[in-house]
Amino acid sequence: MSSILHPSPLPQSAALRSFAAQWGTRAADPLLPLREQALQRFLKLGLPTTRDETWRHTSLRALAAQTFVDAPCKTRGEIEPNASLALLNKADRAASLLMVNGYPSMPPDGLINGVEVYSLRDVARLDPDTLLRFQEPLSDADQQRWALLNTALYVDGLYLKITSRLPMPLVILHVATAEGAGNIAYPRIIIEATPGSSATIIEHHVAQGEHTPLSNSNTHIAMRHDSQVEHYRVFATGADATHMDSLTIRQDQGSQCKQFTIVLGGGLVRTTLEAHLDNPGASLDSCALLVGHQERHVDCVNLVTHAAPDTRSNQTARAIASDTSRVICNSKVIVNAGAMRAQSQQSCRGLLLSPAAEIDTRPQLEIHADEVKCAHGATTGRLDPNMLFYMLSRGLDRDTAQSLLVYAFLADSLTGMSVASARAAIEIALIAQLPDSQRLRNFR
Amino acid sequence: MLKITDLSARVAGKDILKGVNLEVNAGEIHAIMGPNGSGKSTLAQVLAGREDYEITGGSVTYEGRDLLAMPAEERARAGLFLGFQYPVEIPGVNNVYLLKAALNAKRKAAGEPEVDAYEFLTLIRQKMKVMHMSESFLTRGVNEGFSGGEKKRNEILQMLVLEPKLAILDETDSGLDIDALKVVAAGVNSLNDPKRAIVLVTHYQRLLDYIVPDRIHVLSGGRIMKSGDRSLAHELERRGYDWVLESQVA
Repeated sequence: MSSILHPSPLPQSAALRSFAAQWGTRAADPLLPLREQALQRFLKLGLPTTRDETWRHTSLRALAAQTFVDAPCKTRGEIEPNASLALLNKADRAASLLMVNGYPSMPPDGLINGVEVYSLRDVARLDPDTLLRFQEPLSDADQQRWALLNTALYVDGLYLKITSRLPMPLVILHVATAEGAGNIAYPRIIIEATPGSSATIIEHHVAQGEHTPLSNSNTHIAMRHDSQVEHYRVFATGADATHMDSLTIRQDQGSQCKQFTIVLGGGLVRTTLEAHLDNPGASLDSCALLVGHQERHVDCVNLVTHAAPDTRSNQTARAIASDTSRVICNSKVIVNAGAMRAQSQQSCRGLLLSPAAEIDTRPQLEIHADEVKCAHGATTGRLDPNMLFYMLSRGLDRDTAQSLLVYAFLADSLTGMSVASARAAIEIALIAQLPDSQRLRNFR
Repeated sequence: MLKITDLSARVAGKDILKGVNLEVNAGEIHAIMGPNGSGKSTLAQVLAGREDYEITGGSVTYEGRDLLAMPAEERARAGLFLGFQYPVEIPGVNNVYLLKAALNAKRKAAGEPEVDAYEFLTLIRQKMKVMHMSESFLTRGVNEGFSGGEKKRNEILQMLVLEPKLAILDETDSGLDIDALKVVAAGVNSLNDPKRAIVLVTHYQRLLDYIVPDRIHVLSGGRIMKSGDRSLAHELERRGYDWVLESQVA
């Protein structure tokens, strides 16, 4: 496809040049015009810099100087994910779908009870219109930059069509693996919840092997009327992993979405959530649990648009930062003209555990309608001395009291998780990253 | 058991305690009364080991030990208990977790084995009955969403489970209706024995109708201005605190 593309001027950074080179390796498919447009815009706009609004605290300068090649295509058989990576036991999930570097391993008959599972490569070939239906308009917005690149370069992925009420969670295990440095993967997932259906879907990002590719992942959730989805994205890779994850949610009338973004791993993790409450009665509860640990850099951006009357959103974020980590939490609610009686809440709380750690929070509101109820708040601080003294005065030693308070700060946000097994698994992974994890285990 | 000598303390740069003297023996119940801002709560917090309160003079011995040299957690393990005037809400930390951790910390310090889960639950259920508390308490966060009265009951419940040698109850009666007051008083009285001592900090004489003190002290301006037996409470109720201050001046 390289002959079609004439970016002008030539991309400046090594990374951009390598992305352009990847384009040359892609086979033509029916989405070609769209993909080409996406790539051209990406190359023209370039990687975001700290001058871009939602990237103010995250510099990609080092990343821009690297070159990237496609992470290898591996399927089940070629790679067997380490059993310890599983978030849920077999008995606790409806099915586990494996995506290695963005390449799915398909279930033998393409069917899991209540879900139709397709490979995006097949859908692109057989029914490209379906893919186009779920394609968000290409956007120059800086928070959508990596989504542009994903659209241009993803090779395969999963399209899940939820057709009934799933009693058990469906797990998508994203395994990132590479033999060398400088690999990149483009996982892409489309989830469609048909009218009245419901499902819990857990995207679990893990790494296996010596090298971890940069993961530029993209998930789109289309919720038809009166559907319910509880979606988790859990990042549990090692300190060498970089994630650029974009999630878009479109909600029809009466649909209810619960979304959990849980960062427990990775070195540089950037998560974007763009939710569109397109029809009356749509409601979204989003919860971010962001754990800054060692040198981790976490940048979480949420943008919720109320585009219809009587829509509701509630965003909560809990961030902790220890060592020299940094956590950024930006959320924004836009209430469009005509979205009367919209209700939104944004609450972001940060807890600093070391003098060198940093947390930046910024809730924003943009309201173009009357009769709305919108609230936002953000606080960041250290452990509450009154709480600490209360616990000490009961005889708890200082370390235990402190770790219990840290845990309590975050645990609050686990309570909304309706899958007990997932909640327990996330809790264990969370505790492992807190100071004094051994002690905390005794309290569970 | 407790001997306070010339204790002075400063909070946020302001002298609050200005030479408090008080002696409490095992088996006694003392009430410390006084007007707002007289230093009653500061005294309670200082005794419990609050670090941001600066001790500027004097000494406190507790069972022969230098209390002021002990960190708060050590004081608790040595049997000192503070019932807070404003118990803190700690969402996310379960009531039972905290109490079990507290009890085990104390037992560990005394060289006793930790309680197992079953034994502990039996104990706490029994104490909850005394305090008329509902089962839902077991699953809730520490004081989370509790009414003022519930928080105070929870303080006394903690006290009953921890069985302190010296309990300092800071305005445990405030914000309680008469029924809750009776329950709280019954809880406190159940702990009254010759080996323990109780110090009640209170504004009003009302609590003393249900918990009968051996000694009453009036704290004002950071000093104990007057001490007496329980009849002093009635006199204060009738004549107000000004009477004590005036009689001192006179």
